[in-house]
Amino acid sequence: MRRSLAAVIVVLRKELSDALRDRRTLATVVVSSVLMGPLVLLAISGLVASLESRAEQREVYVAGLVNAPTLRNFLERQTYVVKEAPADFEARLRRSTFSDPVVVVPADFEAALVRGDSPVVEIVSDSANQRSEASTSRIERLLGGFSRERALLSLALRGVSAQLLEPMQIEDRDLASTQTRATRITGMLPYFVMMAVLYGALNAALDTTAGERERGSLEPLLMNPAERWALVAGKWGAVACVSMLIAVLSCLSFLPGQWVLRSDTLAAMFQYGPREAALFIVILLPLAAALAAVLMAVAIRCRTFKEAQASSTVVVLAVSLLPLVNVFDLGGEAPWHLWAPALAQNTLMTRVLKGEALGAEQIVIPLVVCVALTALGVWYVARELQRAAVK
Amino acid sequence: MIEIRGVAKSFAAPAPPRRVAWARTRGETRLAAGAAVDAAAAHPDAGAIANARANAKAGAGAGANARANAGATDGRRLRLHAVRDVSLDAPDGRITGLLGPNGAGKTTTLRMLAALIAPDAGTLRVDGIDVAARPREVLARTGFLSDSRGLYPRLTARENIVYYGALHGMEREAADARAQDLARMFDMTALLDRRAAGFSQGERMKTALARALVHDPANIVLDEPTNGLDVLATRALRDSLRWLRTPEGGSKCIVFSTHIMQEVERLCDSVVVVARGRTVATGTVGDLLATTGESDFEEAFVKLAFGPERALGHDERLHRTEPDDGNEQRVDPRRDSGGAR
Repeated sequence: MRRSLAAVIVVLRKELSDALRDRRTLATVVVSSVLMGPLVLLAISGLVASLESRAEQREVYVAGLVNAPTLRNFLERQTYVVKEAPADFEARLRRSTFSDPVVVVPADFEAALVRGDSPVVEIVSDSANQRSEASTSRIERLLGGFSRERALLSLALRGVSAQLLEPMQIEDRDLASTQTRATRITGMLPYFVMMAVLYGALNAALDTTAGERERGSLEPLLMNPAERWALVAGKWGAVACVSMLIAVLSCLSFLPGQWVLRSDTLAAMFQYGPREAALFIVILLPLAAALAAVLMAVAIRCRTFKEAQASSTVVVLAVSLLPLVNVFDLGGEAPWHLWAPALAQNTLMTRVLKGEALGAEQIVIPLVVCVALTALGVWYVARELQRAAVK
Repeated sequence: MIEIRGVAKSFAAPAPPRRVAWARTRGETRLAAGAAVDAAAAHPDAGAIANARANAKAGAGAGANARANAGATDGRRLRLHAVRDVSLDAPDGRITGLLGPNGAGKTTTLRMLAALIAPDAGTLRVDGIDVAARPREVLARTGFLSDSRGLYPRLTARENIVYYGALHGMEREAADARAQDLARMFDMTALLDRRAAGFSQGERMKTALARALVHDPANIVLDEPTNGLDVLATRALRDSLRWLRTPEGGSKCIVFSTHIMQEVERLCDSVVVVARGRTVATGTVGDLLATTGESDFEEAFVKLAFGPERALGHDERLHRTEPDDGNEQRVDPRRDSGGAR
């Protein structure tokens, strides 16, 4: 037994240093998986910041400004800067070179208003142009305010109470906490972290199984007196270590990502401190171990690295698609989610981001699933190893 | 000391792809399909695979031939007898050559010796230890250079060698010192701290050999070690093996498989000729020459391995038939040309 444990450590050390020497692959994984999350976070924050600054700018573009002094007066009283729209605004909106919706005022606006003919004012935007679409509702509310003011004035002149226009009042009450609201934007973070774990394990797992077969080094390896399970356990340990390393790196990468958030609102909403990072790591480590074993089990049947890559697509797809159950919110959170690997981790990490507490059950069920998957994978690889070596 | 007594091993042969199931009658179709179902069944002897494929294809394509081979099927499964009856005695301090044509069953026999595959019949013993009963002990006292000798390209030659030493339970320092000694023996000291990725065939071979000998085993089993080596490297290897045979070198028991007669003539104290999965002759080179009444060892070998009718004077026939593969179910290609479509 002690010899076998020693063999596990020998294999583990060798496979780890082997995997860590594969600099190019590691660099690719680090850049594509670990840096991806923070970069996306940065991009989102940039977008939110630009929306915020647009909202703060309080500008409105009007075509035919001279036709509507009353409207202009109203808008300026709302502390908006009123600007004449460029002549070719339609074309520019289509090309997305102009990002604000334009209010088009007809020539006889003032006269029609006085006659009570309710002139038609257009808000021109392009729904394919997302940035212009974002401010459309704001402009709508603004023009609605103008209409209401005119109506109230008319009623007041006739001695009618303004209350009649509003027989009931509507008030919004949002139950979501700041953090919960933020998960609408930060909800994709767990997904990125999980992809990092998957791709971290993928190469090492394939290299220690199918890669070993392809190089022709598996047969000589089995001519050593070490127990088969010890060889497999060492290999699995190394793959799991690499994957866990990537998991930890990826979880930590969001900590500095937070400092560079350009939107103050988002920074306030996105609560990701050392506590959240630690919880993420705790949630992800069992998944890293299980993915390592499953990928090895898939790859041991393949003669070449390339063949193994094709076969492992199934695992990659499963891990990428299962969390989408959460993203699309298909039927809300169901108890079975905790039993599905990847989906469970996604659910738990989303909870952490929402600032919700994790119960014992939520930690234990995914852990049990991951341990079972790991054991199954390692057992299968050990069983297949000898057959694979001589095939 | 290595003893092999009457080992046999058969595999389920891979079958042809499904499309050959376009046979005319129902019976033929069923047989071809049955063979195809077994296509996934794998087996380890590459040389034999090709032959089995040729077999199965011929069997499926020509219904008559397939039925003629019915005795060779085990249920619906085609059996391929890679090794039928191989025996070998290799004493300490001697180099024993395992000589046979491609696909004769040499690699399969050596893999059974390494406990990689279990024999169907027969026993294998190393220093009196039964391979089937105590495989780890056998592996611990034997150095195998197998048919596939892949190195880890991102590790240096030294790391490759020390890794195997550690797997044999050696201390890192001891393994390292041993790697140094072996490097001197195989003239590869300059290679030791280079990564294996850029090694030439000969450099890879030397590293693999050093790796197999790192634990200083009493028994050395080499599967076609001169494959891909140039003249100088082959000579160096021969010198090393000769030295290992001497009492100073440790009086090792060396088994050396090859299909090259010159190797055997130059190096081996005794020869075991294997053909079609059977041991067909045993003795020194001189013995074998005397038995066959030939003066040329190549002629003697061809006579022993393929039968007297294929020796000199029957060249034409030798060219027209495929090399023998130790598989008696082989269908003569000339017969199925009419049946295949």
